[in-house]
Amino acid sequence: MTDFKVQHRDGEGVSILDLKGYLDAHTAPDLETAFQKLLNDRKFNIVVNCRDLSYISSAGLGVFMAYIEDVRKNKGDIKLTNMSPKVYNVFDLLGFPILYEIYKDEKEAIVKFRNAQKA
Amino acid sequence: MARIRSILPWIAPAVLIPIAFVYDVARAAVDLGSGILSVTRELALPIAFLAVYAGLQSRRAQATTNVPKAIGRLLMVNAGALVLLGFVSLVISFRPENSGSLPFRQNSINILGAYIVGSILTVASIVTLLSIQEMVLIRRTASVRRNFLLYLVVLGVASAASLRFLPLEGSIVATLAFVVALILAVVNSFRQPWIVYLSRREKVYGIIYSALLFVVLTILDVVLARHSTGQRSMQAFSSCLHTFVQINALFATIYFGMSFVSTLFHLPTAEVFERKQTELNSLHNLGRLVTQVFDFDDLVRTVTQMTMEVCDARGAWLELFETTENETEGSARLVARQQVEEVVIAGLTEDLNSPIRRLLRDTHRPLLIEDIWNDRRTKHLKERGISRGALLSVPLLSQGRIIGALYAVKDRFQSFDQDDIEVMTTFADHATIAIENARLIVRSLERERLKQELMVAQRMQRRLLPQTMPELPGIEFAAISESSAEVGGDYFDFFALDDGRLGIVVADVAGKGVSAAFYMAEMKGIFLSLSRLPLTPREFLVRANQAVLESLEKNVFISVVYAILDPATGVLQLSRAGHCPIIHASAHHAEMIRPTGLGLGLTDTELFSRSTEERELCLGPEDVCVLYTDGITESRNSAGEEYGYDRLLALTRRLSSGGAEDIKSGILSDVRTFVGASTSGDDMTLLVIKRSATSGGHRV
Repeated sequence: MTDFKVQHRDGEGVSILDLKGYLDAHTAPDLETAFQKLLNDRKFNIVVNCRDLSYISSAGLGVFMAYIEDVRKNKGDIKLTNMSPKVYNVFDLLGFPILYEIYKDEKEAIVKFRNAQKA
Repeated sequence: MARIRSILPWIAPAVLIPIAFVYDVARAAVDLGSGILSVTRELALPIAFLAVYAGLQSRRAQATTNVPKAIGRLLMVNAGALVLLGFVSLVISFRPENSGSLPFRQNSINILGAYIVGSILTVASIVTLLSIQEMVLIRRTASVRRNFLLYLVVLGVASAASLRFLPLEGSIVATLAFVVALILAVVNSFRQPWIVYLSRREKVYGIIYSALLFVVLTILDVVLARHSTGQRSMQAFSSCLHTFVQINALFATIYFGMSFVSTLFHLPTAEVFERKQTELNSLHNLGRLVTQVFDFDDLVRTVTQMTMEVCDARGAWLELFETTENETEGSARLVARQQVEEVVIAGLTEDLNSPIRRLLRDTHRPLLIEDIWNDRRTKHLKERGISRGALLSVPLLSQGRIIGALYAVKDRFQSFDQDDIEVMTTFADHATIAIENARLIVRSLERERLKQELMVAQRMQRRLLPQTMPELPGIEFAAISESSAEVGGDYFDFFALDDGRLGIVVADVAGKGVSAAFYMAEMKGIFLSLSRLPLTPREFLVRANQAVLESLEKNVFISVVYAILDPATGVLQLSRAGHCPIIHASAHHAEMIRPTGLGLGLTDTELFSRSTEERELCLGPEDVCVLYTDGITESRNSAGEEYGYDRLLALTRRLSSGGAEDIKSGILSDVRTFVGASTSGDDMTLLVIKRSATSGGHRV
């Protein structure tokens, strides 16, 4: 019933994860695997593109919480982009905009990473 | 009584034969004429031997049949009779010129000789007939029985036709009866049902005995037919019994001639038949064992044992693969081994990715290595000192997955045949069923136990929620919390504060099930102790965040709404920690109250306290406040559509004039109708606060 997909793209020094479908307790492990792989490959500049993400549950939000600490410790970040208003609302309710950088477009997030690297 | 009965048949011959003998001796001296006495003498001997027949038959009733042995015994009996006949014929000699005249007039020695020859041949004939009767009637059908009885009847008729006082000798009746008896003898001789069931060894004996018996009987036939001492003695003894013996001897000759030929033809199939028999027995035993799941070790031992026996293998073993889902990793566990050194097993199938196992896994088909030394998959074993031979391995398949393998080795190379593959596949299937059975039982027991535990957890968790609603003047409460699983992570509670106000909390632990339930219990403790302190809702949540920060897993957080209600004024102070917005509604308007605030466990005290707001709202008369968890708003129908905030807000407004309990059940039933048949996803909690129509400190 619940369909979820994570796809990994490389965007010039930034790793982009494209999420698609329903992210809930059942599908959260898929995203965890994807994050774990990036961390293992020591890729800490991560953009999560939520353009095709239709739903996220609290368990889905938990995945981001699980990895943000490690990523930031390694001078990287997880930036979220292209959220639909409904998905944004879920992030917003929990206060995620205070904790995470959320952008309208993937490009903005990539530029942010670039600037940070230059600095 | 039984003894008397067993003696009874012997009284007739014991009395009648001597009388007949005395009569014959007397008649040799004096002419006794051909009156009633001679008729009586003619009948005396057949009756005497009829009794013998009856007596022998009743003694044989319980005899079990090892047919080749029985044939061997018949061989002894008939050969013995023939030898005795030879001896007697040395002593007596019938004058040829007398042969035509009836009755014979002989001297006493000749009469005695005729009686000895006659009695022995007749008894031998009866014994032979009874043996054949048994062989013919093995696994009989009604028609088989009928055919044999028919033979006996015609035999009786033919014998009776030979009685001298009847004018039938040489008549059409006598000849017809003789011919029909022989035809029936041939018909009955086709009944050789015992041959198929003989082992190879027994068949060999059967062939030898049948052949010898055939020769002996043929000699007897000739002796009885031609003018010889034997024929004359029988004639002198009783022409009726002569016919009887003669027909029987012919029957026996035909029967054992047939036996010889049939057994000879069955000899090449003996091995196959034996093997099938063993297979059948093994499968029968296995079938029984399969259901005895608790004897799992016994079962796998039996499977390997039978594999060895049926395939005539040097050794056999069974292993189970403990694989992960993709079937590429894991280990193989040896569960039963027969006559195979571990070094062979280890050498053949070192790890799960050994060529043999990989092939089994890829093809799911039996794998036959005709020659261990010269097969590229097993060549390396030659150096390890493993003897040359053949290996057959068969996968254990369950629902398209390989769960293990059954192996057998033989010393000779190229020695497994198609039958071996088939029988081992069958054994492997049986083993699979038993293994799956065992696993299912363990699993279902475990599931039952877990279910029981969860029921206990559920009961305990229910007790963590308020059992009754607070009673406050002018304010009504209604609340419900439902878990999608046995236990859940939703929580609500009321705390009576020291200053007469009421603390109200609704919380939702991320995730659901057991882990959420544990955190929920922990939260209850934290909230309860914090409620004792004089804190504003915001301070309350900051402290709560501090308390849980250490104990929560990284990916778990808790969303909470904490509100303090002053029943006297209807003022509700509240803070939200990542929780769903609060609904404040009346008949005329409805809104979502959404102060900023992070969920508990997301961040440190500093950021948390900086970003958490506090709001105050006033519940006027007839106003409603609804607290809930996202299980309500995120309920989805079968089309995947969410219930959502707008629906909830509008409905609350519509229902706001009713009592708290009505509003609660109204919302709940609307959500349920919306969800319909689709399975509810999350825990749901709903808490309704309703201020009565008249404001103030007293009830209406």
